[in-house]
Amino acid sequence: MTDSAAGSDIVPSQPAAIAAVRVTKRFPGVLAADRVDFHVEHGEVHTLLGENGAGKSTVAAMLCGLYQPDDGHIELNGARVDLRSPREGLAHGIGMVHQHFRLVDRFTVAENVILGDPHQAHVLNPREIESRVAEIGDRFGLPIDPRATTSDLTVGQRQRVEIVKVLYRGADVLLLDEPTAVLTPHEVDALFETVSAITAEGKAVVFISHKLGEVMAVSDRVTVMRAGAVTGEVATADTDQRHLAELMVGRPVEAATRRGSNPTEAALVATDLTVVADGQNVVDNVSLTVKHGEVLGIAGVAGNGQRPLARALAGTTSVDSGTVVICGSDVTGKGPRAARGAGLAFVPEDRLGTGLVPGLSLTDNMLLTRPRSFFVDRKAGRTEAEAAIESYEIKTPGTEVTAAVLSGGNSQKVLLARELANVGEPGGPRVVIVSSPTRGLDIGAAEFVRGLLHDAREAGAAVLIISEDLDEVRSLSDRVAVLYRGRVALEGNTDELEIDTIGLAMAGVDEGEAPR
Amino acid sequence: MSFRLERRLEVHWWNQALTPVLSILAALAFGAVFLLFEGFNPFTVYKALFEASFTSKFGITDSLTVAVPLILTGLAAAVVFRMGLFNIGAEGQLYLGAIFAAWAGIAIADNLPTVLGVTVVLIAGAIGGALWALPAAYFKAYFGTSEIISTLMLTFIALFLMRYLIFGSHSYWRDPESATFPQGRKIPETARFELWGNTRLHWGLLVAIAIAAAVWVLIKYTSIGYDMNVVGSAPESARYAGISVRRTIMLAILLSGALGGLAGATEVAGRSFSLDPNGLELGLGFTGIVVASLARYNPWAVILVATFLGGLRNAGVALQSLPGERVPVEVSLMLQGAILLFAIGGEVFARYSLSYSRSGKVVAA
Repeated sequence: MTDSAAGSDIVPSQPAAIAAVRVTKRFPGVLAADRVDFHVEHGEVHTLLGENGAGKSTVAAMLCGLYQPDDGHIELNGARVDLRSPREGLAHGIGMVHQHFRLVDRFTVAENVILGDPHQAHVLNPREIESRVAEIGDRFGLPIDPRATTSDLTVGQRQRVEIVKVLYRGADVLLLDEPTAVLTPHEVDALFETVSAITAEGKAVVFISHKLGEVMAVSDRVTVMRAGAVTGEVATADTDQRHLAELMVGRPVEAATRRGSNPTEAALVATDLTVVADGQNVVDNVSLTVKHGEVLGIAGVAGNGQRPLARALAGTTSVDSGTVVICGSDVTGKGPRAARGAGLAFVPEDRLGTGLVPGLSLTDNMLLTRPRSFFVDRKAGRTEAEAAIESYEIKTPGTEVTAAVLSGGNSQKVLLARELANVGEPGGPRVVIVSSPTRGLDIGAAEFVRGLLHDAREAGAAVLIISEDLDEVRSLSDRVAVLYRGRVALEGNTDELEIDTIGLAMAGVDEGEAPR
Repeated sequence: MSFRLERRLEVHWWNQALTPVLSILAALAFGAVFLLFEGFNPFTVYKALFEASFTSKFGITDSLTVAVPLILTGLAAAVVFRMGLFNIGAEGQLYLGAIFAAWAGIAIADNLPTVLGVTVVLIAGAIGGALWALPAAYFKAYFGTSEIISTLMLTFIALFLMRYLIFGSHSYWRDPESATFPQGRKIPETARFELWGNTRLHWGLLVAIAIAAAVWVLIKYTSIGYDMNVVGSAPESARYAGISVRRTIMLAILLSGALGGLAGATEVAGRSFSLDPNGLELGLGFTGIVVASLARYNPWAVILVATFLGGLRNAGVALQSLPGERVPVEVSLMLQGAILLFAIGGEVFARYSLSYSRSGKVVAA
């Protein structure tokens, strides 16, 4: 394992830190990566940008050894390597920081850092490990207590542990897979400082993202992929968001912010709602009102009560005190069918496994929240599934495949098609709760979903959006409420709230007090 | 050079159908090794086995007779295993079914017309099996207690209860005239399945097939089956949709128990005509697990597999009387076990493909 001693200067003649040379990867029926060239210089942040399914994850997986290319190869410092597993990748100095953390909750930070490290001695020297962890933390702007128990850490801190982990193993190439998805705006800033510190040592960073603003802010160069092929490689200095979006989608994109309706009477009213889990008030005395024709956005860092709040409103979790009223009927504690009967549609955060049943066909999935009869009405389900595939442009081999085979974006479309069917029409839903409406969706699909939510509002539905993506909440909502530790920390009209004010509320800082 | 498994992105039906066929062939090859060691010609033995079970008239009817309880215990396992619930206690549920069925036969069926008498016996058997599954179902649904442990333990209790009723006490079930060799009291003619001609095969076969069809309809076309699919695949989806996970789990395990109990009832009404521990302790309930697994939990396939395994079981006896070659009866049981092992192993190849790599180059095999 070599600690990079290279200086911060980029020497053009030096071979690329890592390169994919005309790599191709096929999956049955899909060309996931088609002769992709991608190279990252030492000391550079190079973003792989692309819609869902564009192939950026496939390329990243080949770079770190998770997949092997069918054709082409990977080069490290100009020399060809055949990586047969992520472990071999790490041994060659390529470290992946996954979007979903792979940490053991009961371990300390230091224990997690050395977990799976083949170079550890059989008898561990905790003090030495801890001091090295602390030293790496200092060097790269990742302040972390090596002795802290992982379960006590915030999401942002856990991500630091993941980054420290790959740096500890001496990684010279870091792949960051959608790292900002779970962070507050302040944490994102801190992460970007860390990235600068890492590249300043000559290490290469591959940033995988579809958020254009962040891509522009953090990267030196951007490689854009669409449908498995590279559509462009540009220096960030020579481009802008609009151009990147066009490269991604293949056509001009409108970044539409829709607002300005006349909310009428209240449709969804939660009063003093409290949900207790593991002895904590995960939803703490929350009161919310969403009117017909209005979008309320709930912002907040993941894990601050969004999930239990959504579930309490939808009747899928029991409420410890307070009431939920949907279109005039009190549905508190009456279960999801009563809530739906009163006019609710609910798109939960977890698509596969909650919103959709992975082992069931699309036809059967369309029937999950429909009124039931003794014999399953598959004909109705199939008709609905076919209509959804048609109008939502869902990519699937047919209506009878299981939901598990669909990509994230397509499964979200199936779910939305089911929940938003007949919205605003007589008998259709009149209150819509959507968690993370566009997470994991490509730009085109996200645009489409935003349009749907907008249409739902125009049709007179009350829409409640819960998202960790602050930009999304702000662009979609008439009003914003910030959840922090189960409480509403801030509420107001979107147009009247500064992004910094919202960011501070998300971080639990009272206004006037400086962030850390 | 090294081998590695790669997940198949698409599992085709032929991947799945091939697994049981190949595992049977592999098990036969495996069994052949042992037969050779013992000095037998595997081909002679397998030929005799096949003839004993599937080509002669009495061979076929005997195989089908054994298949009747196996279809029902196979269904008992299939309805819950496909949900990831492992009721492995069909054996005990079968005993309780037999106890209830024998009681109903003796106590109620005497003055009824045959059709009604047999129906009462079957219903009693189903109730007995379901009741025996009830504690396991309740503790699983409400406290998350492992149904694997509870159903297995209940099986032992059922076994000794049944033995006690005949061998250990002068119970209602014991024939009072059988002082030296305790036997079960015979159920009246009106509680028995009619036999087909001079064979041992009885109308229970049609009942078992009809029940397989009913289970298929239930699973495939009713909201009960739909709920079971949802709960089995994603309990969180069930909660989201307002399907009661507890009720569905209770219902599934009780249904499974009832099917196991029915198997006991068909044995009483069609074969032993009394509560006969010696005639019932054949591991029919446990074999149901093998049947269900090989049938991939499909009710129609359960009928086929049960017939095949019934024949295998039936052949064990015939093998002993093979002229000149005294093949131990255990061979057929060993083959049955080997088939299951290979089937479980083969499952991996249905879902994964084997590839081997040489100097980093991966070749799909």
